[in-house]
Amino acid sequence: MSTRSAPEQPSRFPRAVYGVGDEPDPRFSLANERTFLAWIRTSLALLAAGVALEGLSLPLQPDLRLAASLLLVVLGLLTPLQAWRGWARDERAMRTGTPLPSPALALPLTVGTSVTGVLIVLGVLFR
Amino acid sequence: MTDRGLFDPGLQPERTALAWRRTCLAVVVLSLGGARLMAPRLGATAVVLGVACAAAGVVLHHLAGSRQRRHTAHLLTDGHLRDATTSAHLLLLLTVVGVVMGVTAAAFVVVRGFSPAG
Repeated sequence: MSTRSAPEQPSRFPRAVYGVGDEPDPRFSLANERTFLAWIRTSLALLAAGVALEGLSLPLQPDLRLAASLLLVVLGLLTPLQAWRGWARDERAMRTGTPLPSPALALPLTVGTSVTGVLIVLGVLFR
Repeated sequence: MTDRGLFDPGLQPERTALAWRRTCLAVVVLSLGGARLMAPRLGATAVVLGVACAAAGVVLHHLAGSRQRRHTAHLLTDGHLRDATTSAHLLLLLTVVGVVMGVTAAAFVVVRGFSPAG
């Protein structure tokens, strides 16, 4: 659609993203922004789960509960960084017409949440 | 002139603004709830950080609304967002808020989990 060359836009931040390539279809930019927001909400969910596990003294085996809780908050701490980095990489890729990179945190997040689930199940069984 | 294709049935800027709003709402609720839960362990630090993150959430919620109006106006007139002063400052601020909440949560879990009181 509208892909006119973007002139130098010093007001647009970050330059590393907006300083290259052409303006993509605005629908794609807005979709990318919503993806960023979805990652942020994922982070909030991970943090809430991690804090609730430990903070509400849920009746699990304490060591397993702590391990699950720590894993959740570490993932929740990394996720906003993934959100920002992923947004910037995707926007850049759309501006330069290159394939979208995959989210770097997808595999660690999948493995981490799975391990958390196992820890919680064990924590319930061995309390 | 307006390209009808820009406005799919979902109305892009509106959908994006709604995503901002529900994210900010979650930030505000969890910041204050977290501060309430962590205060006994982390003291005033938790309260200050919680209120700061909640305030940032309220500000971002407000800014997302004006961003939507700007985007809609530009899409209707130019058909692109290039001159809509679209910057990623809001995204960066939200990233920082997320990291601050994450560090606070991690500190709380460590302090509570490894304290002798249990």
